[in-house]
Amino acid sequence: MSDIKKIETFLYDEADLLDNPDLDSWMNLFSEDGTYWMPVKEDQEDALNHVSIFYDDRVMMEVRRRNFVHPRAASKDHKVRSSHIISNVRTAGNNDKGDLIVTSNFQALVFYRNEQRAFGGKYVHHLISEGDSYKIRHKKVTLINCDAPQKSLTVYL
Amino acid sequence: MTYSNEAIGKLVEPARLHRNIYTKEEIFELEMERIWGKAWIFIGHDSQIPNPGDYYTTNITHKIPVVMTRDRKGEVHVLHNRCAHKGAKLVDTSCGNARAFRCCYHGWTFSTDGSLLKIPNEKGYDNTGFDVKDPMNNMQKVAQFENYRGFVFATLDANAPDLKTWMGGALDVFDNLCDRAPEGEVEAAGGVLRYEHDCNWKLFLENLNDTMHPMVTHQSVVQAAEDYIATLPADAVSQRAEAEIIPPFGASFEEFENTGITGFKYGHHYDGGKSSIHSNYSVLPAYEDAMIAAYGEERTKEIFSFNTHNTLYYPSVTIKSAVQNIRVVRPVSVNKCIVETWSFRLKGAPEEILQRTLLYSRLINSSASMVGPDDLEGYMRIQDGLESTGSDWIEMARQFGSDKDEGDRIVGGGTSDLDMRTQYTAWRNYMTEAYGTEGEL
Repeated sequence: MSDIKKIETFLYDEADLLDNPDLDSWMNLFSEDGTYWMPVKEDQEDALNHVSIFYDDRVMMEVRRRNFVHPRAASKDHKVRSSHIISNVRTAGNNDKGDLIVTSNFQALVFYRNEQRAFGGKYVHHLISEGDSYKIRHKKVTLINCDAPQKSLTVYL
Repeated sequence: MTYSNEAIGKLVEPARLHRNIYTKEEIFELEMERIWGKAWIFIGHDSQIPNPGDYYTTNITHKIPVVMTRDRKGEVHVLHNRCAHKGAKLVDTSCGNARAFRCCYHGWTFSTDGSLLKIPNEKGYDNTGFDVKDPMNNMQKVAQFENYRGFVFATLDANAPDLKTWMGGALDVFDNLCDRAPEGEVEAAGGVLRYEHDCNWKLFLENLNDTMHPMVTHQSVVQAAEDYIATLPADAVSQRAEAEIIPPFGASFEEFENTGITGFKYGHHYDGGKSSIHSNYSVLPAYEDAMIAAYGEERTKEIFSFNTHNTLYYPSVTIKSAVQNIRVVRPVSVNKCIVETWSFRLKGAPEEILQRTLLYSRLINSSASMVGPDDLEGYMRIQDGLESTGSDWIEMARQFGSDKDEGDRIVGGGTSDLDMRTQYTAWRNYMTEAYGTEGEL
């Protein structure tokens, strides 16, 4: 399998875990130092000195995973369904850690609280080669409306 | 239907409220005119517009557009965002820098202090009786605006009391926020989060000092965090600010009761004072050193020991002095509002302090946080449930009769509904146009 096919397969599998949803398996796609980031500003470069919609490391993912399934989290009473489409997958070389940088476009339909919402934007994945597949060191999700008022978002995109 | 002042007055009883307050569009429109059109509304912080020509736009009510500008001389203004010619909104971007404001339609051009600079082909007005020098052809200033330690408020009411008088004893918390900076000043930093709430704007405000909800509403995130923290080695936990921020949301009724609630005229109030859910945050040694160098040990201790949770300046802004963030509510319609979260840098403090503030904003106030969405779920269910005709009333009777009047303030238990009673005394006074006549507390 060519590298780009392998990368695409990996991204589709990741999207599938989010759509199922299977957060336990999804989290395990991340390396131990892995992070998930949704900035609130176009071209935002800093997750620590600027506020973000999400910025989770494995510790916060673990808290979130437990919160998602907690019976007393009222905002989770309404089940969420999502459907991701990923396209325009391209590689953009390696960063100084040697991670493979992959950019793609995505659209996700999310059904929550009797309302269907459309999200779209750009993914950047920093991937570590591991055996036949990859681990995610970093995933950045920039929504095209990242700076618009958002309703409650109770899933990773 | 049109509500008479008498009919509006009947919607608020001493310890209960009529559901129409939250559900009727006529009431919402009257609120925009009589509360949001009269009270001091938070516009922005002057650090958002640091340079001459900088501007920031927002609405002062659900509809009325305004622009906060810094003119060439460095003076801050709050102007109606409307061209004097045909009425077009002049500035239609959220923020930026301009040499002048030029209307997109016919090119009337205004200075950044609002004064009219140029009308294209002006001679067409010669001998028409139309006076181009009439000040009405400037961008109009809002009735009053004031800058308190960088925080810019405006009111559409020329007869409103001055800002300090209006804030009363609640001013202490603004001072405490700024005093927590070694240089005595704060600046907006790290951007804004905007969170769309499908509920009446008052439901957000009522949650701020509602200390009977955290242990219920936030039980899930507190348990998720505590259960996971318990599996981590102690030295890993001590590195995590989240471990200080999340668990206090599960504080007991007794702990919240002891924080107390203090209410003021015009609907302002805070919970805490001697203690709050933010009391046990660790203090970075480098920050403490900078504070002691600036203020001395005794004053530093005094500043840190005044610890409030949420302080509401009714109706538009709530601040957390110990966290250094604020939330601003912008009403949209009877069942929709936008809540903005702004974070502040303490000038002269190490950068890690701002990073903790931003972590807090993201962790607690983001639309994707594990706290805000559970709060909002409660507000949205109230908004839906109040359409029920099962009863017209909701209660606010906790510890009713025990509120202590101390002259300029009313104090009561931390789990009381004193905050609700304070808000609705103000609501009734604004809505029945009683302020300025009897001006009751």
